Amino acid sequence: MLSRAARPALRAGAAASSQSAAPRTYATLREIEQRLKSIRNIEKITNTMKVVASTKLNRAQRAMTESRQYGQTSNTVFEQAETKPLEGDGKKTLIIVASSDKGLCGGIHSGLSKRVRRMLAETPDADIVVLGEKCKAQLGRSSSRNIVLSFSGVGKDIPTFADAQAIADQVSLLPTDYASIQIVYNKFINATSYEATPIEAFSEEAIANSPNFSAFEIDDEALANLREYALSNSLFWALAEGHACEQSARRNAMDNASKNAGDMITKYQILFNRTRQAVITGELVEIITGAAASEE
Amino acid sequence: MAFAWKASGLTYNKYLSVAARVVRRSLKDDKRLAAERRGEMELKFAKWNNGKQGEVKSVADANAAAATEAASHTS
Repeated sequence: MLSRAARPALRAGAAASSQSAAPRTYATLREIEQRLKSIRNIEKITNTMKVVASTKLNRAQRAMTESRQYGQTSNTVFEQAETKPLEGDGKKTLIIVASSDKGLCGGIHSGLSKRVRRMLAETPDADIVVLGEKCKAQLGRSSSRNIVLSFSGVGKDIPTFADAQAIADQVSLLPTDYASIQIVYNKFINATSYEATPIEAFSEEAIANSPNFSAFEIDDEALANLREYALSNSLFWALAEGHACEQSARRNAMDNASKNAGDMITKYQILFNRTRQAVITGELVEIITGAAASEE
Repeated sequence: MAFAWKASGLTYNKYLSVAARVVRRSLKDDKRLAAERRGEMELKFAKWNNGKQGEVKSVADANAAAATEAASHTS
């Protein structure tokens, strides 16, 4: 939004500097004033978005730490059982991309898309499930043939477990049987850096084939439930962490945008004052020469 | 047949969400309002075929439809 709105201002700024050499300075003066006004408005908008994102960030971060704990606890079973993804013998891989619907938050969505494209280069026949409009648009352009499902309405608020469950339900209803399911999400490293990372959700076979599987006493029927449940746990974790990353990225992006708008405002203010003075000086010169000419 | 809910065509996640909804609804009013907001889900989804996006549907409706279909198959 900022870039789109600022573009005419930039263009006009270039025009203003080329026109300031010309004698007609009245028009540029008014133009500069208009531009200043619009940049001020943009700064207000980005600033407000920053404030909103900062307040949301706190809640999102709390949800993230909780859900991370939750997801890791759920994965302890697989760590103890030393579950490993099955080596692909013709079986398909499913990649779930946990992005969100809203933009204006720096490069976190394109980071995810890039990571997914890299994974697709390794396994070209993998299927993709996309959560969120942003990555859907990006991946839909480059590799739309791989997409089997897309979800929207993700990331309006802090993701709930009900969201994750519904997604996991739809994913498990897919006709293909997947050897491994990779959930790609943005890992929150610190407030300014995120990394697109995959987490693995194992298939039933992979769980049954894990080396330490005999340490657990479970029914065969319960295994399918565990798999579904683990998938929605991992999804919940990925969604919550992705949401926190998005908020923090948005806060940073809007912070930068407000700063840039502030820089532009000072620049235009100086340009405005200079032009105004030039106009006044020009008028004075005209009056004085006129007066001097009529005296004689 | 070990699980009654499985016989009626529910997936484990569906079963969990139904159980969670019942627990949330049986809470006291003040806690219930906060808890029910955690159970909201307004996702939409679309199936893709050969690189084309299909019709956008609500996830909640589709899940309910799938559950009834599965139930009619098993019973």
